[in-house]
Amino acid sequence: MKTVTTHLLILFCLSALVIQMPSLAFADEAAANSSSPATESAPSLQDLGFSQAQTQGNAQDQATLDKRSHMLKIHQRWGLATTAPLIATLLLAPGGKSNSSARSLHGGLGIITAGMYFTTASYAIRAPKIPGTKEKGPIRLHKALAWIHGPGMIVTPILGAMADEQRNAGQKVHGIASAHGAVGGITIAAYLASILAVSIKF
Amino acid sequence: MNWKTTITVVALALPNLARADSRWVLESSTLTYHISHPLHQVDGISHDARGKGTCHAGQCDFLIAAPVKSFDSGDSNRDLHMLQVTRGGQYPMVTVRTRLPESASSLSSVTADLDIEFAGQKVPYKQVAFQRSTDGARSRITGTVPCTVADFKIDPPSLLTVPIKNEMPIRVDMTWRTE
Repeated sequence: MKTVTTHLLILFCLSALVIQMPSLAFADEAAANSSSPATESAPSLQDLGFSQAQTQGNAQDQATLDKRSHMLKIHQRWGLATTAPLIATLLLAPGGKSNSSARSLHGGLGIITAGMYFTTASYAIRAPKIPGTKEKGPIRLHKALAWIHGPGMIVTPILGAMADEQRNAGQKVHGIASAHGAVGGITIAAYLASILAVSIKF
Repeated sequence: MNWKTTITVVALALPNLARADSRWVLESSTLTYHISHPLHQVDGISHDARGKGTCHAGQCDFLIAAPVKSFDSGDSNRDLHMLQVTRGGQYPMVTVRTRLPESASSLSSVTADLDIEFAGQKVPYKQVAFQRSTDGARSRITGTVPCTVADFKIDPPSLLTVPIKNEMPIRVDMTWRTE
């Protein structure tokens, strides 16, 4: 009986070793070749606990992202282009003893600037919002500065028109119209800072 | 047959039986992509990867996956652009599959062939080197996958009309444990 038990145990051990043999050989071969991925027994995304909603794509979501990026690219291009008439308007700002044609040129450039500015802004405002996005990073400063240059871009031309009217009437610029230069300066500074906020890492 | 022989025989047999199947679970991870632009150096980090490895017949199949939107570069606007250019709406997951010999779990450095599925493209990377260190039952794997933007047919994003560089290395730092 003892001999039979011994033989059975030895047979059991040998069979266990034999079962392991091919896999050991395969393992060595694989180690040498650095095997290729994926087999039938490989885990799946469901095994990792990701839900169907997480793993399956949605064409509508991608379309929304595409539309958003497209509109913001246009926003960026128009925003950069707007700096040209903006700076020209500043450089051609007539002084206290300016003539009518200099004021007209300055005003004309101002109108072009405002037009381009609001076109730029409209693309950012109309770009689709992505639900669940918590804003962080430089974009927050970029958006916060819009609360300065946005109203500034409305008020500056109005004050400019008032100042021009007073000058045309032969008056010295007075009252709230005298703030035209200062408001314009703050608007330009905020606008340029807004561009730098998303361009330079700080 | 005496007891000594019986114990010896059983002791020899047990490890072979115990090695039949084992499983690995990704306990924690940090995946970091790096992109370069003349004005910016950007690192996008995800800690949300999940992974499993199943071993059978001396071979282990691993799957690691992370939602594309889980990568955080510190700028939500940039992250949404990244999600768009990598077609993250349509292909929301980045997955990595690899197969390693079970014996690799005892080596200090491992080279692996990876299949990375990202942005709707499946790209193989051959012989990617990783370092491995052990802390008890845990294995820490670190390395860098030399991905490029072009590999995944991603239209390189640009800032002020200047596109990012093609190189997009992904640093991997994972801690695995056996189940």
